[in-house]
Amino acid sequence: MNVMGPVMLTTWVAFSGMLGTGWAQESPGNLTSPVINTVEVRIGAVLASNSGIEFDSRLASLHRQFNILFPYSSYRLVKEERQQVPWGGKAGFDIPGGRYVLVVPREFKNERISMKVMVIEGARPIVDTVLSLRNHATFLIGGPRQADGVLILSIGADTLH
Amino acid sequence: MTCREALSLLPLFFDGELESRQMRAVVMHSTRCTPCETELRQLERLQEVVSESVNARVDEVDLSNFWPSIEQRLGSVDLPWGQRLRTWWSDGEHRWMAPLPAFAAAAIIAAVALMFFLNPKSITDPEAVRVTSVDNAAIIDSLDTDVDSVAVLSEPETRTTVLWVSDDTVTGDTP
Repeated sequence: MNVMGPVMLTTWVAFSGMLGTGWAQESPGNLTSPVINTVEVRIGAVLASNSGIEFDSRLASLHRQFNILFPYSSYRLVKEERQQVPWGGKAGFDIPGGRYVLVVPREFKNERISMKVMVIEGARPIVDTVLSLRNHATFLIGGPRQADGVLILSIGADTLH
Repeated sequence: MTCREALSLLPLFFDGELESRQMRAVVMHSTRCTPCETELRQLERLQEVVSESVNARVDEVDLSNFWPSIEQRLGSVDLPWGQRLRTWWSDGEHRWMAPLPAFAAAAIIAAVALMFFLNPKSITDPEAVRVTSVDNAAIIDSLDTDVDSVAVLSEPETRTTVLWVSDDTVTGDTP
């Protein structure tokens, strides 16, 4: 019996299947010029403190930023949420401490997402800003006191085709 | 050996349960002693009668369904997968597949390595790649606040913008 026949066939199938999947994932973005109709706004609320040493594994993507920027020893993700809204739509998020975050994506211009961001505590806005971010980028708002530490919010937006 | 000793050992002799030394002694005595030899022949005859009787009864038993019923039970036995695999493997027709798992594993490793070089994003944590590779710097067009102060931090290494609110009543210290 020819042993190499089935072996070569299996190898070829494994290669072509895996590479085919990878190329298929790459293709649409390269071939089309999509119309952006929706934006996905994502928010994470992190409780940072010096009580204990902990780094929530779900915050792995922000580990470097947090280590460089902040002096705390414990970071715990207390809320994570995503909302898809159209341009001009409102994405509202309840965050710890009775606070509320409102994000309104305005437009996609010069490869940046322009958005209005408000952090409201009680009846007063502690942050009311209009800024623009690169697609898939994340910025941080920190400082509001929470328990024995502070709250750090990571806010980002991704366009959806 | 006396006749008394020989007669007590004859049943054991007949059943083959004597040691070689005792067996030899019984045989030597029986060849020279007529009563013991007679006793031995009677035992032989008794054994023949018993054997014939048992065989006659066995012949009367209908064994035609014996093997089919065993076969039927064998068919319903659920062999463990390991035993089935060994049986399948031992028939010799599948030996050519022995190197197949090794070739498949090598192919998968090579494909993953190739994908890593062609498209490293697919291997690492996509969220981590997103945050560290994307320019996270924010351009702030306007900023209002109702607290004492807001600091805007721009960290060049991670290209991250931070708005740090500071209010004695509700907020913490600037890092």
